[in-house]
Amino acid sequence: MNALKRHWWLILLAVIVVYPLIGESSPYKSGLLIFAGIYIILAVGLDLLMGYTGQISVGHAAFFAVGAYTSGILTAKYGFSPAAAMGVGIVFSATLAFLTGRPVLALKEYYLAMATLAFNEIVITLIIGFEGLTGGASGLRDIPPFTIFGFSLLDHLHYYYFVWAVVVLVIASSIAVVRSPFGRALVAIHSDEEAARSFGVDCAKYKTRAYMLAAVYASIAGSLFAHYMGFIAPDDFGILTSINLLVMLFLGGVGTIFGPALGALFLKLLPEITYALQDYELLINGIILIVVLVFFPKGLFGIFTALRNKIIPRMGR
Amino acid sequence: MSDISYLIQFLFSGITVGSVYALIAVSLVIVYKVSQLICFAQGEFFVFGALTMTTLVSKGVPVPLAFFLSIIIAMVLGALIQQVLIRPMKNASVGALIVMTIAISLALRGLALLIWGRESHILPPFSRGEPIQILGAALQIQILWIVGITAVVLFLIWFFFEKTPAGIAMRACAENPYGASLMGINTQKTTLFAWAWGSGIGALAGMAVAPLLFVQYTSGIMPMVKGFIAMSIGGLGSIVGSVIAGLLLGLVESYTIGLISSKFSDTIVFGLLIAVLVLRPNGLFSRS
Repeated sequence: MNALKRHWWLILLAVIVVYPLIGESSPYKSGLLIFAGIYIILAVGLDLLMGYTGQISVGHAAFFAVGAYTSGILTAKYGFSPAAAMGVGIVFSATLAFLTGRPVLALKEYYLAMATLAFNEIVITLIIGFEGLTGGASGLRDIPPFTIFGFSLLDHLHYYYFVWAVVVLVIASSIAVVRSPFGRALVAIHSDEEAARSFGVDCAKYKTRAYMLAAVYASIAGSLFAHYMGFIAPDDFGILTSINLLVMLFLGGVGTIFGPALGALFLKLLPEITYALQDYELLINGIILIVVLVFFPKGLFGIFTALRNKIIPRMGR
Repeated sequence: MSDISYLIQFLFSGITVGSVYALIAVSLVIVYKVSQLICFAQGEFFVFGALTMTTLVSKGVPVPLAFFLSIIIAMVLGALIQQVLIRPMKNASVGALIVMTIAISLALRGLALLIWGRESHILPPFSRGEPIQILGAALQIQILWIVGITAVVLFLIWFFFEKTPAGIAMRACAENPYGASLMGINTQKTTLFAWAWGSGIGALAGMAVAPLLFVQYTSGIMPMVKGFIAMSIGGLGSIVGSVIAGLLLGLVESYTIGLISSKFSDTIVFGLLIAVLVLRPNGLFSRS
């Protein structure tokens, strides 16, 4: 049964592959899961910054916007291929994170939270302001679907597999990062920056790198979003989106990689279960977050591991 | 309109929004001073104040009564939140507390959506009267109300903190909670008071401007952020600094919108915030 404990993620992988094929496959169903996948990429990236490095960000949607708009503008207006545009977006986001990382991440707590929130707002106001390039408040249209090797991913099911392949890659690479010396340095910074510094950890450098990595994941998510939607508007990337990401992180269990993924999946599918309760969504999200913070500081993932540790040993007997 | 009348018009609107930012900054400072916590839900009290009063007035409640009722409702709400949600998190990290106040703001926004819907609401002015013409610029009577209310509130706060035993106790709690509790000051009660005050002043800011702008359930984010900007420019925990910074911020914003562009005014204001945070983390007016 130890094998089950160690390889439970294989079951998860199988579920991802098989699930859309069960029953009637509808564009609606795969569409939902595509959105969930995109948000998982965002949440897992942000978890590296918040959960592992301990740096709060209330502006992560800014990099989501940078990826989406770079992809959108380059493909819709300048004839770039989507893959190339995604690459440019990644470089652009990483550069932006590199340039802003050091001064912003030198701030702490409330200041950091506000600075990142202001950064998010600046990106949005620039998008709205440069109307000629971005379409302004009314949004950017006619973004072509994603193509790889000349093969167009028009079909929802194809795009589902593509997005979830990226999700698996992002989660796998995040786990690799967390287990590397770099990841351990991040955890050290989280627990005590002074102590980490006294052990020779260059905190500013490592924090900036974590920020850049999170930005790159967000940018990829942005590109995937833009090519799936075909139309993007500033509202998709505002402070509320950043705050929703925080809800996903804390709901799932901050600092656990799988937790935020679980949180993102749950929150993206929840409104569909409670579709009639549309106006209650904000209130429900707020209450969920409050309840999690007060009663389940480890989030859904904490509950999940506790159950797993209780059930699996019994099955072995 | 001549050039000068434009400049004066921008001055009026700058002072109007500046007063609002100053009030919200002060409400943040009061909570921060006593509990070392910045409440991201402060903008929601702005919305609740404005919308509660709008509803009461539309139901025929006389304006002065509606005014006091709305403040009291906001104060009770703030005290309740402190008691039920913030107090149990005494030992939580700052990160978790920040997320907690964000969660509270989400829940309150959701509640406002359920109560008042998605539409915008506007309050009738506190008193009738034609705008006063000054050098070709129009000064609405409500602006006088806003400035007057701000001045009275600031005087009361000064009086409270400097002259009353409760205010001095509150300052003691801010300086050294442990020492204050040894002196027999009930820190929990003081914190509760600070939250009630902070929420009341936040609500007041919303009520004062509600006759000039349309308020809806999402209107809380920007005042909160601008109030925080004023607070950081003024130096954390400084009431005087926050008030000056709030007014300055309102003027900068108004003149940027008027003279440069309305498109990029927020870009400039938020850029200013990041610049101040990075260059003078203790605020422009702090002594250290």
